[in-house]
Amino acid sequence: MTASVDSQLSSPPSGLRGQIHRLLHDREVPYGMAAVRILLPIALLVPMVHRWIYARELFSTDGAATPLWVNYGSPDMLPVPSGEVAVALFSLLLFSLVSLSVGWQTRIACAVSFVLYTYMNLLDAVSTITKYTCIASHALLLLSFARCGAVWSVDAWLRRRKNVRWPGEGVEPDITDCAAPHRMLMLLVGMVYFGAAITKMQTPAFFSGDQLSSWMITNVNFGHPLGEHLTLYPALLVAMAYVTVVWEVMFVFMVWRGPWRLLMLGTGVFFHVMTYLTLGLVIFPMVCISVYFAFLNQNDVQRMAAFARRMKRRFGWKRPRKALTASTGSLAFLSRFPSPVVYAATALLAIVGGLELEYRLDPYGVRRPEGRYTLKELEAQQVLEMLRPTPKLRESDKFAGLEVGTMLVGGMVVDRRNHFRQGERLVAQCLLTPPHEDMYVSVNLHDADDHVLNRTGKTIEREMLRSNFNYVLPESLEPGEYYLVVTSRKKEITRRMITLLPADAPSVPTVASRPTASAN
Amino acid sequence: MKRWLINVGVAAYVASLCLGIGCHTLKIGTSMHCAMYFVVWDMFCGWTSYSQRTHVVGEGESGRYYELSPGPWGDIKPFGRLGRQQYDVNGLNCISFARNTLKHTDHEPITRVFIVEERWNKKFNLPDDLWHRRFDEPKEKETYFSVRHVLDGECRLARSFPSWIEHQYQRAVADNPRLAADVQNSQPFIAVTSASGAVVNPYSPASLSTRPSSAPLGSRLGN
Repeated sequence: MTASVDSQLSSPPSGLRGQIHRLLHDREVPYGMAAVRILLPIALLVPMVHRWIYARELFSTDGAATPLWVNYGSPDMLPVPSGEVAVALFSLLLFSLVSLSVGWQTRIACAVSFVLYTYMNLLDAVSTITKYTCIASHALLLLSFARCGAVWSVDAWLRRRKNVRWPGEGVEPDITDCAAPHRMLMLLVGMVYFGAAITKMQTPAFFSGDQLSSWMITNVNFGHPLGEHLTLYPALLVAMAYVTVVWEVMFVFMVWRGPWRLLMLGTGVFFHVMTYLTLGLVIFPMVCISVYFAFLNQNDVQRMAAFARRMKRRFGWKRPRKALTASTGSLAFLSRFPSPVVYAATALLAIVGGLELEYRLDPYGVRRPEGRYTLKELEAQQVLEMLRPTPKLRESDKFAGLEVGTMLVGGMVVDRRNHFRQGERLVAQCLLTPPHEDMYVSVNLHDADDHVLNRTGKTIEREMLRSNFNYVLPESLEPGEYYLVVTSRKKEITRRMITLLPADAPSVPTVASRPTASAN
Repeated sequence: MKRWLINVGVAAYVASLCLGIGCHTLKIGTSMHCAMYFVVWDMFCGWTSYSQRTHVVGEGESGRYYELSPGPWGDIKPFGRLGRQQYDVNGLNCISFARNTLKHTDHEPITRVFIVEERWNKKFNLPDDLWHRRFDEPKEKETYFSVRHVLDGECRLARSFPSWIEHQYQRAVADNPRLAADVQNSQPFIAVTSASGAVVNPYSPASLSTRPSSAPLGSRLGN
């Protein structure tokens, strides 16, 4: 409270300098940072708990650590720990993340979490460090400088219990904090999106939808239930690509206040949920959405509290005071001990417990009664298949498909269909996969008896990923079934059956509505 | 004093974020230090149209072959269903995976270790129902194997080869006879006498174009 009065008494500079001064030095109750402090460690614990049993293998000299600094040409930048030390540090990291989330010895827990989390991630460049771990490291660093344990924490609860209320003294301790770390965390989110937008701008295939489409059928992340289906709608991917880049660029400028804040954050939540549904990212959205809570300010919390009070009055909810008192009463003994001592003892217990448990689990099986593991033998035939000289790329593997329709939007066929009317203009779009050489590709029209009716050929340069072949289906063609046949190097690559309807046919079904071959 | 410290801290932090954005935009110095990884936001910066899997195979003295990654104690699946070695795109970290497996197992002497790349067109990743909605032809997946690295029995790197994708790009370029001839004509002739006394030109395009895509080690690799 005193600091708050001081800040009001000292006259801040005016103009832009004053605005920056207020932005960084205003005092506020750190609700947003407290929310991040609670949620972020929970998100980080999901992958880290899974890795605990592999700590020796992933992060130590007794395993297969892959330090990131080696990739940057600094092989001796940091030491790689031994197996026992790695397990001890990893156990301490898990304990720190838990204590950070509940807000027990928050400042220490946060600093320890930041150092150990960053160090452990750096030790495994292959399968632990990613960009979400970088965002998390930034967030943990900034939380270390904030008083994120001032509210909604065990520390705050213990402080309230110890607070001696002399006459004339404030009832509540000062829970405000300098806004600088909070503002930096908000800025970080904006800068991450801005950098991501630049990455996309430097990737031309992003705007053609090819990159997104490729990632949506890549199975290196978790399952992505929507991704494969969306590849059927390439024009939608193009639209999504542009919307994403515009949103990412705007975010850092528009997210600070007013209705734009809600729009930017709402779009962000939708974006991250979609990265799960289409790309199979799970932890990345959890980390980003938990960091979004940094945008929660004091007014938001006051409004939500007022809303909760109104609801309480309207529905007559009563706080379960007895139950709460009983549950907190059982922890009251903690307040009799100096918290840092209890904290240190618990941390030590976590380390020793972790070491003992890992020893008993014996991940490499060196203490098994039947002895050490032996290698799994592979079929010689299978291995010889792998070791033979690489065969030439199959011609059909240079093609990603054939889209047939009548309308192009953003270079994509948007009305994929197999039925056309006489007189209509048909677009056959040939999709290719890189790398391919300069090619001459034909898309020929065959009748139902496989007689060639028309030939259209084109040179497709090696950098092209799609090429359009236009056909006007003249009224002289009899209604019936025809084939579009793609050929390259005199080999048939693929063919698509099309049905020609009379010029006055009432409706033309699209591919999406036709029965699929597997359904038949 | 405290405010001054805050101002300096904020300025340093904002400067580091801007440095990352600037270097990334201008493509300067993004790999000058490990710390750059924390300020360059290049998520999903690349893509390929072929799926990749990596196999780490050890060849014993008896001529038997063994799987060296994952180890026999089980696979680490960091992000889903795939094992850890599948996230090592260049295959170089698989060297330490193999070394670790050999260190913690009983086995016959190992003479060679192969790190093999397996590739297939990603269109074959489509589930069957979606495949039939996009293609009229049956789903006939073809996989391509290519030896990426060969290690000796002590897991020391003996020889590396371009990735399968790089090799395909080379083939695509070499497919143009005029360009191939231009490349050949523009190479300076550098004579180097080999141990056998024969004069060879290590930069000869002919030697590059005849370079096998897979490891030419012994009869097992086709030579």
